[in-house]
Amino acid sequence: MDFGFCLSPSSHVKMDSVDLTTFNRLKETNPDINTCIACGSCTATCTAGHFTEMSFRRILLMLQRGKEDEAKKMIQRCMLCGKCTLVCPRGINIRKILLDITR
Amino acid sequence: MNPQIFHPFVLPFVIGMAFVLTYCVVGLLRVIGQLPKDDRKKFWRSLVTPKTAWANVRDLFGDCLFHVKIWKRNPILGYMHTAIAFGWFMIIVIGHVMLFTLKPLEGIEAQGVERMLPNFYYPIFYKFFATETPVFAILMDFFLLMIISGILIAVVKKIHSKIVGVKRVTKFGFADNMIRFALWTIFPFRLIAEKTNIMAFWWIYSIDLCVFMFMLPFTRYMHIPTEALFILLRHAGLKPREPRKGYALAQLYSCPSCGLCIDACPMSVNDSNSGNTSAYFMKKLRNGDKEEAQRIAETCMQCGKCVAVCPVSIESCDIKMSQREAVPYQIHSDHSYLDGYTCTDTSNVSDKKACVLYFAGCMTQLTPKIMRAMKQIMEAAGEKYEFLDKDGGICCGRPMLLSGKRAEAQAMMAKNTELIKASGATKLVLSCPICYKVFKEEYHLEGVEILHHTQYIDALLKQGKLKVGKNDVNYVYHDPCELGRAFGVYDEPREVLENVGHLRKAKSEKELSICCGGSLGSFNLTQKERDEITENSVADLMFNQPDEIVTACPLCLKTFARKSPVAVKDLAEVVAGQLQ
Amino acid sequence: MKENILIIGGGAAGMEAAAQLQQMGMNPIIVEKSEALGGHVAQWDRLFPAFHPAKDVVDAMLDRVKDVKTYLNTEVTDIQRTGGGFHAVLSNGETLDAKAVVLATGFDVFKAERKQEYGYGIYNNVMTSVELEKFFRTGKDERINNPKRIGFVHCVGARDVKVCNTYCSKVCCATALKQACEIKEVFPEAEVYTFYMDLRMFGPGYEDLYLKTQKDFDVKCVRGRVCEVSEDMDGKLVIKAEDTLFGKPLRMTLDVLVLMCSMEKDKSIDAIQQKLGVGNNSDGFMQNKDMYLGMNDTAQDGVFVAGACTAPKSLPDTIGEARSVAVQVYNYINKV
Repeated sequence: MDFGFCLSPSSHVKMDSVDLTTFNRLKETNPDINTCIACGSCTATCTAGHFTEMSFRRILLMLQRGKEDEAKKMIQRCMLCGKCTLVCPRGINIRKILLDITR
Repeated sequence: MNPQIFHPFVLPFVIGMAFVLTYCVVGLLRVIGQLPKDDRKKFWRSLVTPKTAWANVRDLFGDCLFHVKIWKRNPILGYMHTAIAFGWFMIIVIGHVMLFTLKPLEGIEAQGVERMLPNFYYPIFYKFFATETPVFAILMDFFLLMIISGILIAVVKKIHSKIVGVKRVTKFGFADNMIRFALWTIFPFRLIAEKTNIMAFWWIYSIDLCVFMFMLPFTRYMHIPTEALFILLRHAGLKPREPRKGYALAQLYSCPSCGLCIDACPMSVNDSNSGNTSAYFMKKLRNGDKEEAQRIAETCMQCGKCVAVCPVSIESCDIKMSQREAVPYQIHSDHSYLDGYTCTDTSNVSDKKACVLYFAGCMTQLTPKIMRAMKQIMEAAGEKYEFLDKDGGICCGRPMLLSGKRAEAQAMMAKNTELIKASGATKLVLSCPICYKVFKEEYHLEGVEILHHTQYIDALLKQGKLKVGKNDVNYVYHDPCELGRAFGVYDEPREVLENVGHLRKAKSEKELSICCGGSLGSFNLTQKERDEITENSVADLMFNQPDEIVTACPLCLKTFARKSPVAVKDLAEVVAGQLQ
Repeated sequence: MKENILIIGGGAAGMEAAAQLQQMGMNPIIVEKSEALGGHVAQWDRLFPAFHPAKDVVDAMLDRVKDVKTYLNTEVTDIQRTGGGFHAVLSNGETLDAKAVVLATGFDVFKAERKQEYGYGIYNNVMTSVELEKFFRTGKDERINNPKRIGFVHCVGARDVKVCNTYCSKVCCATALKQACEIKEVFPEAEVYTFYMDLRMFGPGYEDLYLKTQKDFDVKCVRGRVCEVSEDMDGKLVIKAEDTLFGKPLRMTLDVLVLMCSMEKDKSIDAIQQKLGVGNNSDGFMQNKDMYLGMNDTAQDGVFVAGACTAPKSLPDTIGEARSVAVQVYNYINKV
């Protein structure tokens, strides 16, 4: 039935239908992943972040909010230089996680 | 059939020998066939080039027969290997010389030999190839005893490896254990056969040899024939391209699984990690266990110590890198955003060629003390300099290479090359050995001298451009893997330190130095595992109670700072503090 | 005869425990390694959350221990358990016997040089929270020269695996906001930024302090950890952090950067602690029996702990523990 109008798609994150497969896979090999306190050190220090919007903190969130495509796009900017891993106050093995996502 | 010419007991041996030879020839053709065309060309050429040909001869004798490299590491093990390899070789050679030059006496029974020998000497190993010349009998005896003494050491090593100075040995499976037993018993059986002259023992001896020959291709003992080929390929200057093909394949089969790399590997500080060492990597890869090989390859820190201690000079780090490169990725990097990027501005420098271009690198951005020290040093020396990455530059590409993504790394390297060339500078100074390695090995920067700051500071001091005072501090120097083992930059930093203070020795120095544990080479090590490595390395450096630990790598610096009981400094920082 | 109680440390915990023990009829003896009683709090200008002058509190505490036997500039060099208590040797050569020992050795301030990327000891205008407090007390610090923009970095040496301190240092959030207000009082024109990860304003009056920073002092709070500091041509500090709420990395020029250094256990007591058989917990502080009813007890009978030697603590926490340790000691002596 066409009422001549429609509900605009909600911009909400649909937590009920988020696919966490990738995140859970990462969590298996990198249990530290949950210790992130979202301090943003990784993003602030990021060599690629100097030129682009690369942010590991956001990639982690994207994977947990059903935005896997965005995360995979963002990760292409990464130079794998390892600065993020060096500054992370939680000792998260970020380089390994980044590499695992691209597999 | 005339037993003097032929006796059926030799059949098992002959069949075994024929099998091994066929296998080796097929293997040889396969390896050479798998070499990329340009590598193959290089190989043929190296065989006829006098310099490499001489190196081939030297190493074929030095490594395959005398095991010079094992002697250097551990004389007992050196003797063990030489005794068995050289002893066996000599018995074969002398046996053949005797066969061709002398008329064998009456078959197995050799009467009258005793008469020809001095009264005090009774040959124990003579009956089959009985000889008219006592010299041969004495030689044969000598080498037989040598072999048996070597086997005795091997037995002791197997029972209690610590007696011969080896903490950990490679753990073997059934086949490897069985062929080892076959090898150990060959000569005792031969001796018994010679002494008793009972036909059954000659048969046992021959069958034992046959078992050894048939198992050889499927066990670590394949290293005996393969090492010869590997030496030739190595001298041709090849690099492994694919983990299980061509040159790499020759290396895989040349690894004797001796396990010297197990004790050497920094990861072995935690026993549960000793399975991640090169000996096991080579074994897994040889056996086609790709998953495990991949996991070990990615756990390795690429510190290169296993290569440094390897008696066969297996380039396990390179093979691990080729293993990393073999992994397919779904997502590829896209660094096209770098296209329009320019950073350095040397336009205000009148003589660009005299300008020193300083590239701090990502890691050094996190150690501002090194950057400040370099600035002070360059200013004190009156150098014209420019920072390539003052405001954050592009990664050198080595971390990406370490992940096996060569093409992606090349995009970054190309951009850096462009920036450096555009600057017009003729000298590039780096503070980070990680960068240094990739700049030296992968970049094509003709006309640009690439120096690590340790070399640069050393040169400035020697040229008299830099004046420093000497203090009373006792320093110990840690060799960063990518500067020391990779390029042998051992003396420059030490000479600099002796100019500014006193140098104390670490327990393990230079090519034996222990990785700090911070390495970007490893992807799998956890923080805890890294900490254990760091603590072990710090303890090694603290061996002679230095006042300060000095290193020349920002990553080593940060890693050690977490665990060191004394101050940790970069060489540049120490020098800057002593400027006059 | 009154029982001797050896109190190691003459800071807030040691002084308050001594005052209470004396009132309870015991003979406390304070051994303090520095030249004066008062500990860290004596170096403070005002206290959060209500800007109460630290001097008032310290003076009151000092007054209460004026009759307590006190050794200054003295350390315990050796201690042994004897039949009925402990036998201690002091660095001045004296010895003393005590029925019980109270460890009130407090904390050490995290050495900011250890976070090299923050540039303390490298760039002139990077200072610690302790140094800023000294500026408030004395009005003098050559780094503070009518600054236009000041930044505070939270969690320096806390919640940070890279310096081996994974714990939260508890008091830095409130201290940072207190100091942010104070610097605004001195330089009303200045812009003040704090870089935090979580503002842990849990105590009474703390939230009011936070509201004050927002309503009265316009302190700008940015949620993100500063990760790199460098210096520009003019000697100003350039910091890098991510504004995690906005989702973008930011750069900012500052005149002064204040590092909110965490508390670490004072390791100068390690040897004595080992002799007494008191271990450390996973944060490197002293291990008490448990954090509830046994918070003042250790694994060793007759050895008690109070204050920041067991964990980072605020002044009220410390005073509370000092009083409770007095009761515990009293019960131990009288075998209640």
